Amino acid sequence: MKLYAILLFLFFINSVFSWKKDEFRNCNQTPFCKRARSRKPGACSLIATDVSISDGDLTAKLIPKDKVQENLDNQEIPIVKPLVLAISAYQDGVLRLKIDEDQSLSPRKKRFEVPDVIVPEFLNKKLWLQKLKSEKSEDGLGILSVIYLFDGYEGVIRHDPFEVFVRESGKNGKKVLSLNSNGLFDFEQLREKKEENEDWEERFRSHTDTRPYGPQSISFDVAFYDADFVYGIPEHATSLALKPTRGPGVEDSEPYRLFNLDVFEYIADSPFGLYGSIPFMISHGKSRGSSGFFWLNAAEMQIDVLGTGWNDEFSSVLMLPSDQKRVDTLWMSEAGVVDAFFFVGPGPKDVVRQYASVTGTPAMPQLFAIAYHQCRWNYRDEEDVYNVDAKFDEHDIPYDVLWLDIEHTDGKRYFTWDRLLFPNPEEMQKKLAAKGRHMVTIVDPHIKRDESYYIHKEASQKGYYVRDATGKDFDGWCWPGSSSYLDVANPEIRSWWAEKFSYENYVGSTPSLYIWNDMNEPSVFNGPEVSMPRDALHHDDVEHRELHNAYGYYFHMATSDGLVKRGDGKDRPFVLSRAIFPGSQRYGAIWTGDNSAEWDHLRVSVPMVLTLGLTGISFSGADVGGFFGNPDTELLVRWYQVGAYYPFFRGHAHHDTKRREPWLFGERNTQLMREAIHTRYMFLPYFYTLFREANMSGVPVVRPLWMEFPDDEQTFSNDEAFLVGNSLLVQGIYTEKAKHISVYLPGDQSWYDVRTGTAYKGGVTHKLEASEDSVPAFQRAGTILPRKDRFRRSSTQMENDPYTLVIALNGSQAAEGWLYVDDGKSFEFQRGAYIHRHFIYSDGKLSSYSNMASAGFGKFASECMVERIILLGFSPGTKKALIEPANEKVDIELGPLLLQGGLGSSVLTIRKPNVRVTDDWTIKIL
Amino acid sequence: MMKLRLGRVALLFCVMLMYGISRSASVPSKDTLLGVAPEDEKYYKGWSSSGTIKCKDGSKKFSKSQFNDDFCDCPDGSDEPGTSACPNGKFYCKNAGHVPLFLYSSRVNDGLCDCCDGSDEYDGKIRCPNTCWEAGKVARDKLQKKITTYKEGVIMRRREIEQAKLAIAREEAELSKLKDEEKILKGLVQQLKEHKEQIDKAEEKELLQKEKEELERKEHEESKLKESKAEDNTEIIGEPEKNDIYDKDALEDNHKTVGDPEISDHTNRVEQVKEDSLQDTEQKEGDFIVDGKAGPDTGNQEKHVLEDTESLSREELGRRVASRWTGEMTEQQSKEVDTSKDNDPQNHEEKLEDSHDEEYNGYDSEDVEQRYDDDDDREDQMEECGEEDHDDSSSSYKPESDDESHLSDITSINSQTWLEKLRQTARTIFQTVNIFQTPVDISDVARVRKEYDESSSKLSKIQSRISSLTQKLKYDFGMEKEFYPFYGQCFETKQNKYVYKICPFKQATQMEGHSTTRLGSWEKFEESYGIMLFSNGDHCWNGPDRSLKIKLRCGLKNEVTDIGEPSRCEYVALLSTPAVCVEDKLKVTFYALCCLFFYLPLCWNCCFYSMSEGKLEAKYEEFDDHDEGKITEIGILNHE
Repeated sequence: MKLYAILLFLFFINSVFSWKKDEFRNCNQTPFCKRARSRKPGACSLIATDVSISDGDLTAKLIPKDKVQENLDNQEIPIVKPLVLAISAYQDGVLRLKIDEDQSLSPRKKRFEVPDVIVPEFLNKKLWLQKLKSEKSEDGLGILSVIYLFDGYEGVIRHDPFEVFVRESGKNGKKVLSLNSNGLFDFEQLREKKEENEDWEERFRSHTDTRPYGPQSISFDVAFYDADFVYGIPEHATSLALKPTRGPGVEDSEPYRLFNLDVFEYIADSPFGLYGSIPFMISHGKSRGSSGFFWLNAAEMQIDVLGTGWNDEFSSVLMLPSDQKRVDTLWMSEAGVVDAFFFVGPGPKDVVRQYASVTGTPAMPQLFAIAYHQCRWNYRDEEDVYNVDAKFDEHDIPYDVLWLDIEHTDGKRYFTWDRLLFPNPEEMQKKLAAKGRHMVTIVDPHIKRDESYYIHKEASQKGYYVRDATGKDFDGWCWPGSSSYLDVANPEIRSWWAEKFSYENYVGSTPSLYIWNDMNEPSVFNGPEVSMPRDALHHDDVEHRELHNAYGYYFHMATSDGLVKRGDGKDRPFVLSRAIFPGSQRYGAIWTGDNSAEWDHLRVSVPMVLTLGLTGISFSGADVGGFFGNPDTELLVRWYQVGAYYPFFRGHAHHDTKRREPWLFGERNTQLMREAIHTRYMFLPYFYTLFREANMSGVPVVRPLWMEFPDDEQTFSNDEAFLVGNSLLVQGIYTEKAKHISVYLPGDQSWYDVRTGTAYKGGVTHKLEASEDSVPAFQRAGTILPRKDRFRRSSTQMENDPYTLVIALNGSQAAEGWLYVDDGKSFEFQRGAYIHRHFIYSDGKLSSYSNMASAGFGKFASECMVERIILLGFSPGTKKALIEPANEKVDIELGPLLLQGGLGSSVLTIRKPNVRVTDDWTIKIL
Repeated sequence: MMKLRLGRVALLFCVMLMYGISRSASVPSKDTLLGVAPEDEKYYKGWSSSGTIKCKDGSKKFSKSQFNDDFCDCPDGSDEPGTSACPNGKFYCKNAGHVPLFLYSSRVNDGLCDCCDGSDEYDGKIRCPNTCWEAGKVARDKLQKKITTYKEGVIMRRREIEQAKLAIAREEAELSKLKDEEKILKGLVQQLKEHKEQIDKAEEKELLQKEKEELERKEHEESKLKESKAEDNTEIIGEPEKNDIYDKDALEDNHKTVGDPEISDHTNRVEQVKEDSLQDTEQKEGDFIVDGKAGPDTGNQEKHVLEDTESLSREELGRRVASRWTGEMTEQQSKEVDTSKDNDPQNHEEKLEDSHDEEYNGYDSEDVEQRYDDDDDREDQMEECGEEDHDDSSSSYKPESDDESHLSDITSINSQTWLEKLRQTARTIFQTVNIFQTPVDISDVARVRKEYDESSSKLSKIQSRISSLTQKLKYDFGMEKEFYPFYGQCFETKQNKYVYKICPFKQATQMEGHSTTRLGSWEKFEESYGIMLFSNGDHCWNGPDRSLKIKLRCGLKNEVTDIGEPSRCEYVALLSTPAVCVEDKLKVTFYALCCLFFYLPLCWNCCFYSMSEGKLEAKYEEFDDHDEGKITEIGILNHE
């Protein structure tokens, strides 16, 4: 009998270990999604009328076609009110389309438009449209109104049936992107209840959503022309190239869901919504290139990728060009307005830049933030912290940041310390800071409802909490138990919150302390789908349903602003967030949430990070090792080897797991993990340069292969390998005991193994032996990589260390690379206090030029030297080099490619050229 | 008790200082051999005729100008002992006044003072003051203290080992004697049993005879109605005796048991838990099926689950979802289940112990203590040494009453006498009692029965003592039986809200208020008796079974400190005890101190150690240029 009880108990434990699928709504349980998905192509009867130019925009009204007739007949006010449409053009190929209810007809309520996402500079890029061109459609049946968009591109509205598209200039210009080509547009306007007993409530499990405003969803189709694949719309644990969710051969699939959720033990391949939502999709195809579509809307969204042939039975109804390849998608949202952006590309980087012009480029992080982070739920007390810190030193493994999870607080009251475990937090931080290390503590948005907790007292007195449908402070359950949630959608509350991070307010904080925002979806343990009820109310009576996906973004923003204020505007903030929304890149790093210690999760982390990068969130990473469960040693080592190339590189673990700090698995594995971490520190100068590039352009730090090789079809769906910048290709190993690994190296130039210097031909899939030492990584021919080969306790001590430059020549004996350096922490770089070098090798000469965009007031000085220049792809006869302007001859000798962990291979090396990294110089290879 | 003679120590320091001066004079200047250890100086002087030296790994060679020129030429770092250029390099700092140190090259000129003499930071970016003297003093004091502890600890340990060996020998002797006695007693009991059975038979016969007569007489007087009543009566009377059968029934048929008010509390409790866990698991079963992606026919179960969470209050739902990450609430649940699991062996154990006691003592276990006291005088002789030890240690060092204490009753020195007496009595009985006589003599019957009862109870006591002794002696008490005194002892320590109770060879628990969590049962010693391991403790939600590792440190008292849980449900503690104060460790410590005094790298063969007649002697061997050792006696660390 007892055994039976034990077995049942184990049974129960097992059941805890899996994704609670039934706790989350699927499309069928979501009325707006179900309705939109069942709509037939061509169902939209809206036509555009009153098309004209006003205030530099193209404006029009959308009314149902049959109602036009009705109106003429009956002279009555139509039941369906017209919608207002506006199209504007912005510099660099961005078309913005807005569709909303007509405010002049005083609708029941102003529908929500997401504030504080679009960067102010974008608005200044608006083109004031002057004229409208009218033309007949190709089939001669409809009228098109055409506006200028960008060199070579036009924005077009087709009146009947209503359709908006971007095309290449000219009457027969190829379509790039279009909306409502399949006639699936639908806009549920706010209205009164039809009859008293019309039931607007929605029930899910034990929760009831009162839906006081009734149905208000929006849906439409978007077509991407000449596209082979579509990408983006994170956050999902799935492939990089988005698989069709409907169409021939796809059965019972869910749309990609965008609804920020705290998903317990998510699975590694699913269209299911995770912690963040970025409704930005990017397409790519061999014949044209890339285009992008972004819908600024913070309500729940569901997106179908429609497989070729999905609408074959309706093809007669629709008038779609058949000569152009196309990917159709269906976008559905529960509320909000249409505020959509079309990006013309045509290159992948162009699309990313265009998107960044709307939502901003990633913030420039501090140098320490892009080094290695050590986290665990939880480092229990000060002694534990000191021990872990000391062990890193003992094993000569660098790390920059030690993290404290929720248990460091006094009863999950953020900004407080459990004084039994952490009696001297300042001293602890100072001790770490003395070694150049930093600390991060967690601050979540749920506030413990405890009258003696100052944050709660103030927030409840000031009415700063989100209210429930009845108007009372919303009371939900999270880590501290009964909690309320700050209404961070309100700028006043954000600014109040930001003050809490000052050194005076946050007792026990010091300048080396930074912040982690978790649970900001928001996670509400006893709420519907583990989140907040949709009928909860924010300021201005905005319903939670309208801004749900942006809640975490505003919290992240407030925290980040708090750190800027704390540092008097002189210290770049570091805030890690789990929830994301467009614009999150401006406030800090994000991680992919609570993954599991499984090979599949290591595998999927790469497309997840790549997708985030494509959609603006460059600074991201997955928990190295996997959060839930115990990774076996090989998986952990492989994860370090891949994770060393994530933009955000942090080891983390759930508190039920065994300890897994890098030295706990025997000398050999310690060495492997140390080398993986060293690799990251070695490439820090390169990473930092790439973070600056992202900061300036929006082009992400890690990139899918097709971003650099847009013509190479073989790369389009490759998400096992990725590029760090344009120069490094990394191929992950995602299987146990792999003997061989296939690596596709794109392009027609060679690639050099970063450990051995061996050259591999491009455009070929190489079958390599899998080494336990590292995952394969290659330097692209034609590039110059800056490295720092000396390892220290943390990045802080590397400041004055000399550089190594690795030149890999391409077929035309040329190469180039960049190096960006600044003080690594302040905002002085914005005033010009940085150096940006452009290294060019051509005609047998390596030259260093300044790449400064403009001369600022600030100055950045560095004494750093170049200690070594490694030459890959040079003819073996090379003997001497002449350094100018010093006019000194130095020998070129054979040296190791890597000082540590290398395979002893010898490469041509210029020993101690003695040039400063800040100076202009030339080295002639004789 | 023991003190270092300060004068001697001072003398040592003088010698040491002189040595230091002469030594630094002989060392080549700092610049040329920066970061080079003394034993390597020769290597760095070995320039070949072409002015180069081979890297230590032989892979390459470097010239004088490449030595310490801040560029890594040798893959093993041998050309750059004094810079950070080679990741594999090691920087040596002399740290005069303290211990010399090898640093990772990553520490050279990194802006942090790592060598107490400051020699690792020479690029002028920061200034590192020389703190070796202070640091060295702290280290020396620490070592001195450690030596003092060890010296006393070694003696304590020796004493304990001697006593343990004696005690073990005594127990072994006792065991063999008990075995002999058991044999004799067995025979005796067998005889008495036969006797008793014969008497019983005779009595029964007599009784039957009488009954028969009576029945015949009564048959006439009683009506048929009354007969049925009599039947009822017998059944009632018979019931208590049928308990055994009853239990069997209960096992076979649950329903019957549940309904019956007469079952013991114990059974009741177990039944209760079982029911609970059944309920629990039933509901989880539903969950599981849905989660397990059982396929198309989940419809019904899904509904079932939905209803299930819907019935929860908001707060409960919150807790339940939170518990997925933390396991807190579910742990409570699982604790319930756990206790049902755990209670069981425990109850079982208790029950066993109870019956054990009963068998053994032949009286209620509550009387044990009293009885124990009564036997004090005999006891004293045996337990004397053990007691003394206990007095020495802290209050947390408690003897467990159950094992050692009750043995006295039968195993005293004069046990021979009681056995003899018993045999004597039996003999008289065999001689005097005529079992074939009818009617049976009442007093004879009583005597036989009494003797039988007494001797069989003695026998079972002896047998249980034999088994407990055998079991005890099977344990691994260490190379020299130094852990023998731990047997039957428990060490307690309080940390925050928890009280930890560690009973070597038995189990370790963590108590919070009234709830007890088992951290593990005794498993074994590890790492040559440096660690005690308790494993298979209570299960952790989402984690492993709890376990506890206790690292042993030399100390003068048995004391548990620093208990912690570095990894979930894997506990670690420190126990200081004289049991591990081994002389070898004392030697090592002594060498370390000696080296500290003479600024030497850890030099196992340059300081000699002897401990004889309570004297610690330090001898230092100095090597001259011709590698000829010359032993100089520097001083004696004596104690009074």
